[in-house]
Amino acid sequence: MEAAERILQWITEAGATGDLMVAEGASLSLKARDGDLEEHKVSSSQVFGVRVIKDDKAGVAYSEASDNAALRLMVDQALINASYARRDVNEQVPDKAITLATDDSLLAPTDDVSVEEKIDTVLRLERELAARDKVKNVPYNGVSDVTAAQRIFSTAGLKATSRVRACFSQAAALVEDGDKNVMEGWGQGARRFDELDIDNIVETAHANCLALLHGEAVPTKHYDIIFDTQCQPTMFSTFSMMFSGKAAKDGINPMRDKVGEAIADARLNLFDSPLLDEGFGYALFDDEGSPTARTPLIANGNLATLIHNSATASHFGLQTTGNGARSPRSTLEVQLHQFEIGSGEAEDDAITSGEYLELTDLTGTHSGANPVAGDFSFGASGFLCRDGERIQPVRNITVAGNFYEMLNKIGLIGQTRYWDMNRHAFMPRIRFSDVAISG
Amino acid sequence: MLDTSTARSVIDHAISLGADFAELFIERNQINNISTLSSEVQAVQSGIDFGIGVRVVYGTKVLYGYTNRTESDELCRIVTELSAKDLRDPETAVARFDFSAPNDIHHAEQTLTKGSEVESKVEYLLKADRVARAASNMISQTRGGCLQREQSVEIFTSEGLHASDIRNYIRASLSAIASNGAEQATGSFNDGGLIGWEIHEAIDAEKTGSEASRQALVNLSAKACPSGRMPVVIGPGFGGVIFHEACGHLLETTSVAKKASVFHDQLGQLIANPVVNAVDDGTMAKEWGSINIDDEGMPTQRTQLIKNGQLTSFLADRVGAQQTGYDRTGSGRRQSYKFAPASRMRNTFIEPGDAKLDDMITSIDRGIYASHMGGGSVQPGTGEFNFAVTEGYYVENGKVQYPVKAATLISTGPAVLKEISMVGNDFALACGMCGSVSGAVPTTVGQPSLKVDDILVGGNA
Repeated sequence: MEAAERILQWITEAGATGDLMVAEGASLSLKARDGDLEEHKVSSSQVFGVRVIKDDKAGVAYSEASDNAALRLMVDQALINASYARRDVNEQVPDKAITLATDDSLLAPTDDVSVEEKIDTVLRLERELAARDKVKNVPYNGVSDVTAAQRIFSTAGLKATSRVRACFSQAAALVEDGDKNVMEGWGQGARRFDELDIDNIVETAHANCLALLHGEAVPTKHYDIIFDTQCQPTMFSTFSMMFSGKAAKDGINPMRDKVGEAIADARLNLFDSPLLDEGFGYALFDDEGSPTARTPLIANGNLATLIHNSATASHFGLQTTGNGARSPRSTLEVQLHQFEIGSGEAEDDAITSGEYLELTDLTGTHSGANPVAGDFSFGASGFLCRDGERIQPVRNITVAGNFYEMLNKIGLIGQTRYWDMNRHAFMPRIRFSDVAISG
Repeated sequence: MLDTSTARSVIDHAISLGADFAELFIERNQINNISTLSSEVQAVQSGIDFGIGVRVVYGTKVLYGYTNRTESDELCRIVTELSAKDLRDPETAVARFDFSAPNDIHHAEQTLTKGSEVESKVEYLLKADRVARAASNMISQTRGGCLQREQSVEIFTSEGLHASDIRNYIRASLSAIASNGAEQATGSFNDGGLIGWEIHEAIDAEKTGSEASRQALVNLSAKACPSGRMPVVIGPGFGGVIFHEACGHLLETTSVAKKASVFHDQLGQLIANPVVNAVDDGTMAKEWGSINIDDEGMPTQRTQLIKNGQLTSFLADRVGAQQTGYDRTGSGRRQSYKFAPASRMRNTFIEPGDAKLDDMITSIDRGIYASHMGGGSVQPGTGEFNFAVTEGYYVENGKVQYPVKAATLISTGPAVLKEISMVGNDFALACGMCGSVSGAVPTTVGQPSLKVDDILVGGNA
């Protein structure tokens, strides 16, 4: 790529090292309303981002314009930005003169579905869900097909190319029955458009609505809790800063000094598993070109490691864990690829024995959590259950507690593991004890 | 940013394919973001976004595409691809472009490209850091940020509109962590506006640092919050996020047109306690959520949403007005050229009343004083919402007892509007970012202190 060579040359001529990230994307998204297409959106985009390191100071800049003058300005601006940054000997461009590429047949497979067929798909999705019992309308629905490519070039000689495709379909229906109403939905992600199961989305979205329509609050007290396959990964993701080497370096990770210590129930084994190729977080290398691996985060209840990029690893005198993350617009960060929790020993009957709350929806997870302290309070809905049977739909409740304390309040861990809807987590069900519910 | 002849050829092409309406939205967005950590500059980031959004409308069907390229051929290709299933003979004519410069009611001096210096912002952030750390040796970490943005937009439509505007945004913040060795807690403070870096003359580094550390120290001493239904006094300023989420989003034609709002058929009806008056106003000088023109080129306005408890208006963009029959309100907004515009809030607030905060507290036997609110979300179809309390206090027998942590308020929009029984006289505004179908846009929320007689408080006690 001629522009990349030019940019790397400018960086070198300035007496700096650095890397260039070029992200390109193409997408189609469709929404239906009252039997017709409401929105048809197509896009193609490109953005260049550079990171320069000069005198042990890093600066970043980006540009969506790709003419020579704009790219030159971007490099100059990154050099100016670096001059203001604090000196950090740990952040250097990794010495990797290698070429890496992802497998398109695995991560960006093609299919023969035409735009017209995709339009028919979203119209069918809305029509069939709208025709179901008690459905007033389907205000939120859509299908999308996104392909994103990323190329990384460094002054050390790294050339890394990745390309991924993600197709999604989702629908949420507003269901009414007398003075009761509810809005619930379902969705699915896939690498190929023809793998989307519209019938299942319609069926599941409608079933979710009817199941919760007549939900009521339960009395305020402490309950045993089982999060469903969506909510449990949400809980772990919300507090994922606890595994961040970057947050530890920045002095805001409460687990910074607890590596090797018991922080959870001894039966809990949690991994970052980028090599599970069924997941959308599958990755062979990170954004620094470092190889990834299955990384134990919690082993038998002990905090096994934090995740690192090359800079945070160097800061702590460790090796990178292959979790370097950067976009064209951002500085170097760390990022988990996908959660995996090891199977437990409890059979389904044991997990669901006696009374418990199954939580199927959490709201306010972006605002009601404090990862520094571990405290949270979320809106929730789900079902009061007994011996595996749903005996009452539950709405308008809150669930509150401290996530770091909850990791020590694990009653049972199931044997069977499930992927979440977005295929970023592979976990068994966990029964947590003694969680505060307000109703 | 785009020459008129290119815009003309693309819009002519769209109309020749039978579109009822065509629009080009050209955006150049320049940003600079300074972050501090541990009393040092952590990073300075900058960049330029540039792109063109192409909107073609057939009836109420919206076709939208975008690109980073400016060539007529590429823009026409997008139009052709979007219109492929709707081709028909032309049904309307393209009007001649009539350029109108906006009335600039938010003039900025020290803009990102003129007069704003990195050194001055760094000095501000490091002073706030020093003030926060000086408050207590329990302040273990601070993180500062100053984001400045210059967004230039140009709009062409098949109705002959040709408008442009430059929006200068700035926002500075500091967050602090307090630690006692066993526990940690956080506090923060931020301010911003549609203004240049001259805002530093109005926002005070002393106040930024002291407020962030004060809140962190209060939260470090907080106890678990009681749970259950009880009266809550919601503090001024960012407390207005509840009205924004619980009611404001339900008044956008984005939800109303789909009948996905519980208020869609209640115009003219009493939807709130008669003490409630609410406004969405894009004209407030230099406020964070203000604009000169919306992202469809219409001059902004002040819209009375609720008067004496009665619903008086919805917020309508062009397509929303077409779908619902309500007048446009200059509320068509979008995050960037990557989004089609939708009806969105600007500066949204409950107007001040005459009650005193002390009287509200005194009237409570057992409840919560939520002096500072965090974010939340709402489900428009049912009106169900949730909000986090970032600084709160338990109240018993009319007196504040102790700070509480990890509390959330949940209810529905229709219910909470009718439970507001007292409206205070201590009105304040606060800035935030609002996410919805057309992306994240700057919005201001506001209110005086309010007393809500009955709401569910989720705590951990």
